[in-house]
Amino acid sequence: MINIVVNGETKTISSTLTIAETIQALDYRGKGFALALNGTFVALSDYEKMLVHENDRLEILAPVQGG
Amino acid sequence: MQVLETKNTTWQIGGKMLSSRLLIGSALYPSPATMEDAIKISGAQIVTVSLRRQSAGQGARNPFWDIIKSLSIEVLPNTAGSHSAKEAITTARMAREVFGTNWIKLEVIGDQYNLQPDPFETVKAAEVLINEGFEVFPYTTDDLVVAKRLADVGCKILMPWGSMIGSGKGLMNPDNLTAIRKQFPELKLIIDAGIGKPSHATQAMELGYDGVLLNSAIALAQDPVRMADAFKRAVEAGRLGYEAGVMQKREFASPSTPTVGTPFWHQFA
Repeated sequence: MINIVVNGETKTISSTLTIAETIQALDYRGKGFALALNGTFVALSDYEKMLVHENDRLEILAPVQGG
Repeated sequence: MQVLETKNTTWQIGGKMLSSRLLIGSALYPSPATMEDAIKISGAQIVTVSLRRQSAGQGARNPFWDIIKSLSIEVLPNTAGSHSAKEAITTARMAREVFGTNWIKLEVIGDQYNLQPDPFETVKAAEVLINEGFEVFPYTTDDLVVAKRLADVGCKILMPWGSMIGSGKGLMNPDNLTAIRKQFPELKLIIDAGIGKPSHATQAMELGYDGVLLNSAIALAQDPVRMADAFKRAVEAGRLGYEAGVMQKREFASPSTPTVGTPFWHQFA
């Protein structure tokens, strides 16, 4: 088990997974969000390639109202 | 009888031809239905949106985003909440993927109290984003030199504030805004932030600004839909006034009624 930080909250996942596997394990569905890993944008096309390691920080953002 | 009519002239910004010069925000409305109605009646063809953390388990539905998409108008995502060039750049890249546009309202806040933009980080981020193919709409102050630096790194659009975000104080420094307009006739200039009432928007347009971006003034009005209509007309009136050419100010009174044939006229001793 490893700890990661998702949107500021600590979460536990089973092991080092790809981003695609991680967001599935965290119950994020659909494609209406974008993702940054440790402060760097990760394109949707890289979700299968990139791994999430212990203590990594994920930001998962979706459209909201803005001025 | 021929009826004379003036029509809204189209204008171009960020590669798009538009007729409305009002840019509207999507936040702070009392309800999603009011937001939708206000945006529609405003005639705005650009609406600002943002990105925030999404909770797990929400599923694929996003009612807010569904409404915005149904309006079929241009979406201008912002980087609100960024306090550094790095945060703003990451947010812009995320926005490009989610919203499917290379437009970005670049907002890097330098002071939490008055939400004043950080000019140094804004210029830094603008340069990186322009090199990555973004159309950058930078939120800036009315400082002429900052405007120059943004133009130097390739900004084709500048969005100086009228006054502090959400303050409703109107144009605090019209002389500074006029100086920016005169210095950059080729850039698209939008007044962003601080507009409180329709006459502020008219004033901005009379200065020769290409458009006005506002949110709170409509969303926080007692009747946001009616206020959206008022702003639509205010922006149009200001633009028409600018295009028509405002008369020169005079130091002294000058009668408008003809003086020839004035009744009871006599020469003053």
